[in-house]
Amino acid sequence: MKSVTGIVNFHTAPKALPITKERPLGSTSYLGRYAFCDFALSNLCNSGISQVGLLVKDHLRSILKHLGSMNSWVINTKIGHTHIMYNEPGQRDPRLNSDVNNLLENDWMLYDSASQYFVFVPSHLICAMNLRPYVKAHIKENRSITIIASKQRNLKSSWIGSDVLDFDDKGVLIGSDKNNGQFANPRVVSLDTLIINRTTLVNLLRKFAPLDPKADLFTLIMTAYKEGVVPITVDYFDGFVRAVDSFAHYMDYSLEMLDKHKADQLFNPAWPIYTLTHDTPPALYGEESEVRNSYISNGARVEGKVINSIIARNVHIGKGAVIKNSIIFSSVNINEGAMVENVLIDKYSIVERDHIIKGKAKEPIYVAQGAII
Amino acid sequence: MAIKLAAMILAGGKGTRLGALTKKLAKPAVSYGGKYRIIDFPLSNCANSGITHVGVLTQYESSALNSYIGNGKNWGLNGVNCLTSVLSPKQTEQGSNWYRGTADAIYQNLDWLDELDPEYVLILSGDHIYATTFDEMLELHIKNKADCTVAVREVPLAEASRFGICETDERNFIIGFKEKPKQPKGTLASMGIYIFTYKSLKKYLKADFGKEKSDHDFGKDIIPSMIAREKRLLAYRYGGYWKDVGTIASLHQANMDLLLSGDPEIDLYSIQDSAHIYTEDNHCTPQYIGPDAVVRDCLINQGACIKGTVDHCVISSDVVVDEGAECYNTVLMNGCHVRSGAKVYDCLVAPNEAVRKGEIVNETRDGIALYAGGRTVK
Repeated sequence: MKSVTGIVNFHTAPKALPITKERPLGSTSYLGRYAFCDFALSNLCNSGISQVGLLVKDHLRSILKHLGSMNSWVINTKIGHTHIMYNEPGQRDPRLNSDVNNLLENDWMLYDSASQYFVFVPSHLICAMNLRPYVKAHIKENRSITIIASKQRNLKSSWIGSDVLDFDDKGVLIGSDKNNGQFANPRVVSLDTLIINRTTLVNLLRKFAPLDPKADLFTLIMTAYKEGVVPITVDYFDGFVRAVDSFAHYMDYSLEMLDKHKADQLFNPAWPIYTLTHDTPPALYGEESEVRNSYISNGARVEGKVINSIIARNVHIGKGAVIKNSIIFSSVNINEGAMVENVLIDKYSIVERDHIIKGKAKEPIYVAQGAII
Repeated sequence: MAIKLAAMILAGGKGTRLGALTKKLAKPAVSYGGKYRIIDFPLSNCANSGITHVGVLTQYESSALNSYIGNGKNWGLNGVNCLTSVLSPKQTEQGSNWYRGTADAIYQNLDWLDELDPEYVLILSGDHIYATTFDEMLELHIKNKADCTVAVREVPLAEASRFGICETDERNFIIGFKEKPKQPKGTLASMGIYIFTYKSLKKYLKADFGKEKSDHDFGKDIIPSMIAREKRLLAYRYGGYWKDVGTIASLHQANMDLLLSGDPEIDLYSIQDSAHIYTEDNHCTPQYIGPDAVVRDCLINQGACIKGTVDHCVISSDVVVDEGAECYNTVLMNGCHVRSGAKVYDCLVAPNEAVRKGEIVNETRDGIALYAGGRTVK
């Protein structure tokens, strides 16, 4: 799809989660092997979209570290390009660090590109989505803007902060509302995935961005829609999708993947999810190890007990240590005899010998990066 | 362009004693250690030694091996001023020739080496398992102004007749060499790893090419003729882990050596910093261990799904062990499926094999078996 540029938007991810203090959600570890943005990048790659811009909000270092040479998600390394779009003025004044200002700062992506269509995908959405049919329908029906949305049942406690969409029987948007947990019934929520014609995008940015320098892209589009400048079409995605909106949901949406039937909905051999690999050796298990219902990454050395948990790269679990219902990020050392239950332990931490750390199933504990406990 | 050191990796061997494993695959491409192919070890050793120019000589069933090597990117050997070339037999003005022996393989690629104009040439075998750098060996070669340095190690006398056996003087210079002697006089075996001063190598390869009675082999012809002409041949003693995996049993054992209960001399975890082993990327899902699984003393790669019992096993990517299946002291190569109720003992299961429901493999446990083509071979 040479006429399409993909934009991975890091600005739309939820803020203020304990795990995202030093990294954006997009480059946060998922299932010990992936970063969240691997799904967006793989969906673009598998959909044949080779020109990709990363609309980075903050914590650039963490994103660059995960991207490596940036070649892990392109098919042809000459034709495909992954560009970092970074808003320097926005770093000096966080109030202006919006996706709209970032686009304006990097507007060469709009003007230099031969692409007629731009697809915006959020950096943190967990889904395997083929974008081809949506782009095809967008072009065929001569639309200006398409929002890809999903019908969700539980808006009381999930999809908090997402936009709930109303539309007529032709799929044309007639209204939207922020979800603050007020909806009792199943509703259609925006997946923050947009297909926009380049000319439409350029015109909207020119006309509406100066009116509100703090507005984000969705607000800007809604303003244009309300003023009758441009119609918006809502299209459906009915596959498996998750959007992390809280620390508890990070734990839930990770640990639920231990149910193989659920994992099979996300991971399909025909739709691979690519990630940066690290040349770590296969996982090594000791003679006294006991592991059940868990994901174990390469580079992990397990000599103790791991139940219902996710263990990332280069983690060492000593003899007699017990890990239950927990997520252990990379390069963590759990020493002999330690007990860890309902906990997320961030990178480079050390749990001392025989130490016990227990959270509750509904209130998991977060142990910050580099902690010694 | 003149360079200091070029490496030539001999990867054309068939590996006949590995049976079905090498029926459609060159021995250096055989999988090992759950994640690797054997040739990852010599290639990573080159990368870790800072070698930038590597020729890989392939011949037998070379397609899969050639595409695996590609431009060397799996080992980082595609960087600035790097060159990785797959050197298969070719058609020339003089006709077309298969490689007639290890020395002939290098002889037929002297044009490739001449282009690089190296001062020294490192010659390696593509099917040895060891993790090291060649820095010390090269340093010794240069310091002693040797024409050739041969890496050697002590082997048990009972096994000495399988190797080229060296006789050395008190300064470690080689004064006698016998390839696979029936009655070995010593136990200092050549590892088939050589550093040559390129000028000497070229001279002896050219002389050997015209000889009708020659096997065109380094061990049988080149080394003995250099000794006969009193060239400076140095022995470099290597004491670390090194395996030439010729048989199903030795390949099985080399896999088991990687376990925590295995050989402490080879530990993929402790060698990470000094001699990292690099390999191909793959995009499989994370490794999943099921709710009723038993996993003890194993090495398991990403993409494997273990729902049964695996004890003392080395398991590759995309392997599935169903609920109720049991594997003991077994190597499961990539893409294997052990179905429920099956029991596999002391076995090496070839890639993409399916062990049938309830099937019992190698129940008698009187040696290591190979499971390939849907049946057990011993």
